[in-house]
Amino acid sequence: MAAGAGVDAGAELVHFTTAAVGDDDDLAAARDALRSAVGDAGLVEAAGTIAAFEGLNRIADATGIQLDDNLAADTADVRDALGIDDFAVTDGKVRSESAPSRAESVLDLFT
Amino acid sequence: MTGATTDWTYADSGVAIDPAFGDVHGDAWRRLGECGTWWTGAERVAILAEARAAAGCELCREQKAAVSPNAVRGDHSRSPEGSVLSNDAVEAAHRISSDPGRLARGWVGSMCEALGEEPYVELAAIVATRYAIDGFALALGTALRPLPAAGHGEPSRVRPDDVGDVGAFVSQSLDKTLANVSRAASLVPDTADIWRGVVKQQYSRGPEFAQLVWDRPLQRPQVELIAATVSKMNECFY
Repeated sequence: MAAGAGVDAGAELVHFTTAAVGDDDDLAAARDALRSAVGDAGLVEAAGTIAAFEGLNRIADATGIQLDDNLAADTADVRDALGIDDFAVTDGKVRSESAPSRAESVLDLFT
Repeated sequence: MTGATTDWTYADSGVAIDPAFGDVHGDAWRRLGECGTWWTGAERVAILAEARAAAGCELCREQKAAVSPNAVRGDHSRSPEGSVLSNDAVEAAHRISSDPGRLARGWVGSMCEALGEEPYVELAAIVATRYAIDGFALALGTALRPLPAAGHGEPSRVRPDDVGDVGAFVSQSLDKTLANVSRAASLVPDTADIWRGVVKQQYSRGPEFAQLVWDRPLQRPQVELIAATVSKMNECFY
């Protein structure tokens, strides 16, 4: 992920994101590097996304929302292989007992 | 000092920013200061202040570093505005702010018992919205905006009818057509509306969210890389 996951300007995006979330000393340098790579509008989009997910993570964890049924089914094999469900943080957040299946669309994952 | 004439243009960032961000943020910030469904205006402003104070709280720092946050006891560093809040409300605002990835059902249950389930969810939604707005400013290197003015009035304390146990830590909407993340704060619809408006401006943007190819300054894979990185750092299970 640190190398950018094969995404355009991925390394700059990850550097800026980790610096912003971690309030790192090199945030200004990371911001400048990202701005050079994606322009002002891209930088603003990145800042908005980072901040939105800082909030989304907190509301999700504070209210203990469960994985949506299709998402739980779609990731069952991956979670099993990684042993994710054994961690205390999952705390009943995965309920689906259906066999793994693939969602047919983005929104299908969240139903 | 409250922000009766707060500048939401973000001109101090030195970056060209779509005015829509400032418009949404300014409106959300003002509404967060108004009397809510379960908290007064002064209490909601205090919750915002405590969420900010968590960043410099020594107890939060020690709990975050500990193997278990419950192993570290003490008093949170309160903001001046926080005096109107109970210790439990301050605890909730600080813990949700500083260590969200380790919030467990038992702790949430204890907060709901101490504060009430609905006040707890409204507090969580206020903290989440604060992160979305303040986080935007911090990422762009601009100053945090002043706290909003505290509105007057008494909370209505009206609980929605169509909520119940859907398996989460708190009651949520029984409408299964909504994604679970969209139902997170559905116990407090008025404050949830403020929160959703900010998320829409900063991330989802409405119906186009369903498309894999976006006509936006960043491509969808770039946006989702950011989202995954933030979520990984915060250890968010969902």
